[in-house]
Amino acid sequence: MAAPKIIVVGGGLAGLSAVIKIAEAGGNVDLFSIVPVKRSHSVCAQGGINAAKDLKGEGDTTWKHFDDTIYGGDFLANQTPVKAMCEAAPAIIDLLDRMGVPFNRTAEGLLDFRRFGGTLYQRTAFAGATTGQQLLYALDEQVRRHEAEGKVKKYEGWEFLSAVLDSNGVARGICAMNLRTMEVTTFAADAIIVATGGIGAIFGKSTNSVVCTGSAQSALYQQGAYYANGEFIQVHPTAIPGEDKLRLMSESARGEGGRVWVPRTVGDKRSANAIPEPDRWYFLEEWYPKYGNLVPRDVATRAIHKVVYEHGLGIDGQPMVYLDLTHIDKATLNRKLEGILEIYQKFVGDDPREVPMKIFPGMHYTMGGLWVDFNQMTNIPGVFAAGEAEYQYHGANRLGANSLMSCIYGGFQAGPNAIAYAKALKAAPGDGGHASELARQQEMNRGLMTSSGTENPFRIWRELGETMTKNVTVIRHNKNIQEADEKIVELMERYRNINLSDKSQWANTSFAFTRQLYNMLQISRVVARGAKLRDESRGAHYKPEFPERNDEKFLKTTKASYAADADEPRFEFEAVDTAHIPPRPRRYDAAS
Amino acid sequence: MATSGSNDASHSPSPVGRGVEPLRAGQGNSFLLRKLHSLSGIVPIGAFLIEHLLSNFEALKGPAAYAAQVKFLNSLPLVRVLEVCLIFIPLAYHALYGVYIAMRGKANVIYYPWAGNWMYMMQRWTGYIAFVYILQHVIRQRFMGVSLPEHPGAAFHKVQMELANPWMLAVYVIAMIAVCWHFSYGIWLFAAKWGITPGVKARKRFGYVCLALGIVLAGMGLASIYAFVGPDYKNAPAEVAPAQSRVVAPASAGDDSNQYLTLPFLDA
Amino acid sequence: MAGKTIQFEVKRQSSPDAEAMWEKFEVTWKPGMNVISAMMEIAANPVNSSGQETTPIAYDSNCLEEICGSCAMVINGKARMACSALVDKLEQPIRVQPLTKFPVVRDLSVDRSVLFENLKAVKAWVPVDGTYDLGSGPRVFPQQQEVAYPLSNCISCCCCMEVCPQFNDATGFVGAATIAQVKLFNSHPSGKVLKEDRLRALAGDGGVQECGFAQNCIQACPKQLPLTEAISDVTRDVTLQVAKDFLRA
Repeated sequence: MAAPKIIVVGGGLAGLSAVIKIAEAGGNVDLFSIVPVKRSHSVCAQGGINAAKDLKGEGDTTWKHFDDTIYGGDFLANQTPVKAMCEAAPAIIDLLDRMGVPFNRTAEGLLDFRRFGGTLYQRTAFAGATTGQQLLYALDEQVRRHEAEGKVKKYEGWEFLSAVLDSNGVARGICAMNLRTMEVTTFAADAIIVATGGIGAIFGKSTNSVVCTGSAQSALYQQGAYYANGEFIQVHPTAIPGEDKLRLMSESARGEGGRVWVPRTVGDKRSANAIPEPDRWYFLEEWYPKYGNLVPRDVATRAIHKVVYEHGLGIDGQPMVYLDLTHIDKATLNRKLEGILEIYQKFVGDDPREVPMKIFPGMHYTMGGLWVDFNQMTNIPGVFAAGEAEYQYHGANRLGANSLMSCIYGGFQAGPNAIAYAKALKAAPGDGGHASELARQQEMNRGLMTSSGTENPFRIWRELGETMTKNVTVIRHNKNIQEADEKIVELMERYRNINLSDKSQWANTSFAFTRQLYNMLQISRVVARGAKLRDESRGAHYKPEFPERNDEKFLKTTKASYAADADEPRFEFEAVDTAHIPPRPRRYDAAS
Repeated sequence: MATSGSNDASHSPSPVGRGVEPLRAGQGNSFLLRKLHSLSGIVPIGAFLIEHLLSNFEALKGPAAYAAQVKFLNSLPLVRVLEVCLIFIPLAYHALYGVYIAMRGKANVIYYPWAGNWMYMMQRWTGYIAFVYILQHVIRQRFMGVSLPEHPGAAFHKVQMELANPWMLAVYVIAMIAVCWHFSYGIWLFAAKWGITPGVKARKRFGYVCLALGIVLAGMGLASIYAFVGPDYKNAPAEVAPAQSRVVAPASAGDDSNQYLTLPFLDA
Repeated sequence: MAGKTIQFEVKRQSSPDAEAMWEKFEVTWKPGMNVISAMMEIAANPVNSSGQETTPIAYDSNCLEEICGSCAMVINGKARMACSALVDKLEQPIRVQPLTKFPVVRDLSVDRSVLFENLKAVKAWVPVDGTYDLGSGPRVFPQQQEVAYPLSNCISCCCCMEVCPQFNDATGFVGAATIAQVKLFNSHPSGKVLKEDRLRALAGDGGVQECGFAQNCIQACPKQLPLTEAISDVTRDVTLQVAKDFLRA
């Protein structure tokens, strides 16, 4: 029998991990990516990757890593796969090390580790402050090697439009669009792995890259895949506010000793360096003496919101607080954080070695995603998902430096599982649904190209981002969420009246964006409606009307499915696997 | 498994015309040719240049000393073979391959007016100047007029006649500076490109060394030119007897032709 | 500050074979604006400065924080990353054009796949035995890491190639980025198993020898890679390898 053919969509850490496993197992793999895979969003990850290797003599264990992850995620994650990930993590770090990732080192030549949020252990391996970039490059190099050996075929500059499903609803390939010729084609495969990252673009401005639109996940959701825990969106406490995007300021800045503070008095006009110690309020250290500046992200983000909006202590009355590194010596800063300090210096103009940085929370990570079983397969047979695109490793809040691990681990699981699935797959009925899917997608393109309305897609997108950021991020009120959902419905209505100012058939980026926009609108509703339904506060999801966690009603995975008849999401809830650690209250302000 | 569309033929997003071609790994001889070019600039051409400048410097001691130097060089064993193998062939190779290299570069100092880029361009322009200058210099001084290997005593006069033309003098001055520039920056480039000075600081320091060398060489060269056009040895006779010792000091300045041992049969 | 505008001139080309033309735009100024965010504004309101409707500008971009390497273009005559090109620091009108040494796809979007081909040609990877658990990696001392890490920061933006006078159709020069990666992998404890292959590859036509040491690469590199040092080191190694191969033949 011929080697099974697998298609991987997305060339970030998860996608590349899957590709490597498949190539290694002798599978035949095609890799689709919008951008050259080396430019995927994984490059933006900064601080590091977690694994309990216990090289600092602290008695860290994979169980503690597991416990921190579950506790940090407010018990919403299914525990079995998280436990397996934490156990696999140390060997994955070794593998990455063998692949040549230039991790920072100790004097003895061993891996160096630093502390990250939501843990008391130094568990985060890092390569300066550009760890994601370094990991992605290592995997990219391995894939290039397999590509040179003819085991992998790359389709860079192609956009996934949909899965090709046969008459039994089994995946038989994908439909994709060539972003230069704008030609739509279907590709046959025995299984597909979707590793298309997060959905930051629905919030307009976020720390995510331009390609992180969630379009692929949304397309699959509209084809029948469950989308799980969509309402769990991580807002990173420390981002650099910007007009075009919010640039991440890594948690490693706090991991290396960075301190968050504001002036104690409202309207203090002095410059940061002129404000003496007694006049500074290190509110995180005061409120959370045990974890200090390294509380989990949702906790830090809400604290900053509180200080700014309730105490009115934002710098110059603006929504910003100080993140201060100036007390750390410059050599250490340069060795361990240079990458992020340069970003700040380039985009803001101040040297963070000399002046405290001005930061504010920004949308950062999608905890939710395509629902998958413990084999990384969605409810559509033959469609697997891995990385940020799926939901299963972070529960209600992701701990810093766990995402890189979950991406690689998820890819490593999805690859072999897809091969095993493909080997047992029976032949497709008829043409496997290729012709009809191709016709459906071509029809959609034709419709857009000939639409002669008045709406500009980029303006619709801007309004979507504004409404989502305002109503469905840190503090959520049901009334506001309802407003946001209504706004999305209005935007979807206006979308039907779209006007493409560019109707050409060559490298038409605004056409591709407009297609993504529709999917963004659909997935936004999943996020908003999911948030509305969850009347409790858990992890990143915080409702002042329901400030407590409610395990009785909501220790459940939210599963949204697309109701084509009503053109809206329907929801069901699934029990969470708590086989290993019984849920306990999550309190970072007291001893746990 | 049917697929629609001819995706196999177009798996990369359709090509958009040719750009710069990728590395031809392990193919061709350009590495060897380029390295020979680089090396030949130092040895033997650079070595010859130094020799030539030192020899010319003898001109400061007067026509007789200069003649003695020319005679000495021409008395070297196998001098004609050496001349062809160590001078003409390497020089021709360095010149022609150098032009080939220079023609293929696309200088962009207008957009990127950075020091290294200026030097890159200057290396090419000084190379062109040297090429043209040396070509005429060899033809006119080595192969036309009085044959100096046979008449070393005529060397001073021959050069003096050449430099009597102010245009020619200008050419010599410009070419002297260009050649010394090309050579001293060439040494710097050699050290950088052969991995002798990989470090930024090392390159900078060596840059000062090369600058000093260039100034010394150009200074010597210009001083020699001055010897031919200055007042000291005005109207040198067409041929002098080479001095017996090569360390003959010229007599005090003056225009007394008695200073020269004139050879009657060559008197103009 | 309302009403303050920024003048842009963008070199546009609707397809690889189409003729290029300059189009002028006027964009409302916003604090902290960069060239990409200005083009986002144009996309939301695609009208040029003569008031004519036009198409949004096609360009490559992704991370907008100068780490993905997508948005390299020529801005006011210099190759650089558009996302970190802050409008307030640029002379107006801001003239934006695509990289000149790479085939234009459309407008400011170019095809830089040659770099990835070059990385393939020099085997820029560590040939691990497999991804199964084989225990810890080799020991690497901090001093080695401090040499490797800066080289590993290359974002494949191709600015070093764009500004290099030797990188052109005539030479087919491999460019500084690839040479730096050769140094990186040759210095890795297990990556060096392919050292000879890489060095022989770089002795091929278009290899290290084409460097003219104009040093533009190191000036233009947005990530300050020690490119000239890498070229110097690698060229030495290539020369030694070629000599060794000659003598052992």
